[in-house]
Amino acid sequence: MKFARAAMAAGLLVGCACQTASATTGNVLFNGSITATCTLTVNSNGTMTVSSNLQSLSSHNAGGSAGSVQVDTTGGVQLSVDPVTTTTVPASDVTTTTWTPTFATTGAQTIAETGTATALTVPGTSTIAVNLAGTKSGTDRFSAGSYQATVTVGCE
Amino acid sequence: MTKLGILIAAAVAGGLAPFQAAAQSMTPMRGEVSSFTDAFAVRVFPGNPYDKRIRVEVHVYDQDFQPVAAEISPGAFLLAGQASRPVLVVVPFDGAADRKVRICTESIPFPGEQTQIRAQICGKFFGHRRF
Repeated sequence: MKFARAAMAAGLLVGCACQTASATTGNVLFNGSITATCTLTVNSNGTMTVSSNLQSLSSHNAGGSAGSVQVDTTGGVQLSVDPVTTTTVPASDVTTTTWTPTFATTGAQTIAETGTATALTVPGTSTIAVNLAGTKSGTDRFSAGSYQATVTVGCE
Repeated sequence: MTKLGILIAAAVAGGLAPFQAAAQSMTPMRGEVSSFTDAFAVRVFPGNPYDKRIRVEVHVYDQDFQPVAAEISPGAFLLAGQASRPVLVVVPFDGAADRKVRICTESIPFPGEQTQIRAQICGKFFGHRRF
């Protein structure tokens, strides 16, 4: 009898020893999706000054300044400046002016000054310098008074 | 188009706007929409990255930047600093099976400067008509 009890106890012990602790694991997946984004923040508008021959009114001229726009993007977008359509000129100026907007960027991505749409491929913050030049040809000259033009900076 | 159709199209478009983020000029900037009606809808979220209130306008253009007669609600509004709000745009197919449009958020320039800068953020959206 004693032997039978001892055998049963040993069997139970063996049974316990064979049973391993089971750890349960599971994976939790996280997905994220970022679509192309673009934020334009106009830091400052520009100023144009007239050239000595009165045929150029430009932010490139001495005393003029470019407009500044900050762009924050994921990349995968395109920067552009639209042709100037909104201008205010003095009543005394009745001759034709050709307006040429251009832009250049520094920062996350450097783009040399251009007037054509350019891809922004590098994510991050860049600063856009926006310039505008008005020119007259032949005998036409800029006249005294206030000039104002609107440049549209686009991000698409 | 029936009101139900508009609602369905809007519901489909709702999937394009998974989240709103602060200081985004416009999100999303890409999207593809299927619609069972003669128009498709897109919900965009123009944002104001400035600390002060600005006036925002939303316009819809075709591939050649010609204006599209879309229903935009609202088309122009004042937006508080660091805020964004939803704008629903319903674009008619005008008989076509597919239509590509640009939805553009434009900020009105600060007045009183010689060279003013208008910021324009455009997204490209592709609508498919299902029969």
